[in-house]
Amino acid sequence: MMSKNHVNLFNPKNPGSGIKFSCFKNSSDFRFTFKQTIRILKILIVEDEAGLRKTILDYFTGEGNICETAENYQEAIEKVALYQYDCILLDLTLPDGNGLDVLRNLKKLAKDEGVLIISARHSLDDKLTGLDLGADDYLVKPFHLAELKARVTAIVRRKNFEGNIVIRFNEMQINQQSKEVSVLDQQVPLTRKEYDLLLYFLANKGKVISKNAIAEHLWGDGVDLVDNFDFIYTHIKNLRKKLIQAGAADYIHSLYGMGYKFSE
Amino acid sequence: MKLSSKYNQVNLIASLLVLCITGIAYYFTISYILNRQIDQELKLEEEEIRQFVKKHGELPDMLNFKDGKIAFEEISVQQTDRKFSDIDYLNAKEKEIEPGRSLRSTVTVKGKIYQMLIIKSKLETEDLIRMIFLITLGIIGLLLTVLTIVNRLLLKKLWAPFFKLLQQMKTFNITDQRELLVDTTRIDEFDELNQAALSMSSRVKKDYKSLKSFTENAAHEMMTPIAVLNGKLDSLLQTESITENQAGLMNDMYVAVSRLSRLNQSLLLLVKIENNLLQDDQENLDLRELLEQKIRQFRELLESKNIQLQANLQSKEIRMNKYLTDILLNNLLSNAWRHTSSGEEVKIILDQQKLTILNTGGTALDADKIFLRFHKNAASEGSGLGLAISKQICDSYGFKLEYTYQMPYHRFDVVFKASNQ
Repeated sequence: MMSKNHVNLFNPKNPGSGIKFSCFKNSSDFRFTFKQTIRILKILIVEDEAGLRKTILDYFTGEGNICETAENYQEAIEKVALYQYDCILLDLTLPDGNGLDVLRNLKKLAKDEGVLIISARHSLDDKLTGLDLGADDYLVKPFHLAELKARVTAIVRRKNFEGNIVIRFNEMQINQQSKEVSVLDQQVPLTRKEYDLLLYFLANKGKVISKNAIAEHLWGDGVDLVDNFDFIYTHIKNLRKKLIQAGAADYIHSLYGMGYKFSE
Repeated sequence: MKLSSKYNQVNLIASLLVLCITGIAYYFTISYILNRQIDQELKLEEEEIRQFVKKHGELPDMLNFKDGKIAFEEISVQQTDRKFSDIDYLNAKEKEIEPGRSLRSTVTVKGKIYQMLIIKSKLETEDLIRMIFLITLGIIGLLLTVLTIVNRLLLKKLWAPFFKLLQQMKTFNITDQRELLVDTTRIDEFDELNQAALSMSSRVKKDYKSLKSFTENAAHEMMTPIAVLNGKLDSLLQTESITENQAGLMNDMYVAVSRLSRLNQSLLLLVKIENNLLQDDQENLDLRELLEQKIRQFRELLESKNIQLQANLQSKEIRMNKYLTDILLNNLLSNAWRHTSSGEEVKIILDQQKLTILNTGGTALDADKIFLRFHKNAASEGSGLGLAISKQICDSYGFKLEYTYQMPYHRFDVVFKASNQ
């Protein structure tokens, strides 16, 4: 794990990432809070719809993250050329160009930024072309902000640790490779959905996530649950019970049963 | 009735009628001419008899000769009129009754009045007429046969462009990108028909295309505001001090927005399937494996309603687009899950010919309407598009999707196309 991290610190493909992880000099530092393991994110939001741009900006700002926006193709091209980002949220339909060309431009500049395409088009072609051009993920509008955040977090983690990372949050440790969760060094057996749910909560720490967003995350939008969310309640209840029993604090709070928040 | 048969029929009747009238006219004319000729001969004979009487002062012998006879009879009253008539007489020489032409007249010999009857056989004349009649009949027959054959061949050749166009119209598919193929003919009417068909088909296709692109654009354009709405709701949820009442309202909004977005996505999907945008991207799929995955995905949902699931799956390979297959299975299973009441059962059977999904609960549904867009019963929470999409997917692969109600099961069959087995 350490060696993997160290390799990444000096990875020439990830200039800058070394500085942010320099705090992990020895293993005892891993005991520090989750905030230290999540570095400051620098995100570019390329979206022409002002309402959506602002909403995403508001959701991602905070925790020291730096967000910039571009509302058209020209602006996006300029910012991409000038600055280095951890992740670019890229809308494909821009008033003065195609988002895919931004991707092509990135490739030409040999830049290694994480790219998440957000498109109104549920088009397989666009998706394949996008992924082919180096995008990391593809999210179809409309989406939940929590889902967007979870995907961005996943991309950034994957980019910097090649997926091999132990996430730490207070007394919790999550090994993403083995998909094992432990509290106070005691392993907690979680079902697949409970594990997914925990990761989702951690990516959206401090935010209220609606039942809808959780349902779509766990079951995908293929299953039309309509307004039957009893399943989610069961999973959350079980996850919470398991974590508390293992000695973790009670982090999962309900907002009148319509949403949940993971916070200290 | 075929146009050519109708045409032949009319043609035949008209020809027959005309030929019959001609034949009759012909018959009467010939009969008239021949009769006149015989009458002339009879008069000549009469004249000869009168001259004989004048010269010899007595009647000639009553005679029977080969083609006629002469007879005399004494009468008391003078009859002035001479009368020609047709008569059947006994030919003494031939010893049989023959048709003949007779002339009755009177002659006075030594104060006594005699009626004379001169008969000439018409046998030869009749033969002649019969011969002419037969020849005419033969010609009629020949003419009709030739006419029929010529008509048939000619019509077949003449109508070829029509049938070619008709064949294409029968297989006309509004979603097909290809244009109709027409040849230029030397017949103005067919050229006109071809042009009309061409312009009609391209107009229909254009209209259909613009309608579809309207649907697609409208659905796309709606996605962005829905995304904004969704995002703003997510943001609103982050604000401090939300009351329980507000939370309830937001929950309802979430449900509505999610339903709207799902509806929109379904519409877009339908347009895409209709446009054949997805079908071509086919691969060989193990349907049993996909079904097992899907069942795992649904297991929890089914268990939550305490629904018994029985699956009897045979191995089955199918050539389809993976995304569409996933949607099809999803829709059918969602449908079964949604409409099965707690504690009831769902059965899934897959064999080489078909995939059958059975579920209990509720009463029989209207099989004619169930696959229509936005058709759903009042209690259903779905979009009303799930089965329409399933049907569209099946249609595009030539599969049959059928609904039957077999007490107590609702039964959905996907019958695979023979060539896809």
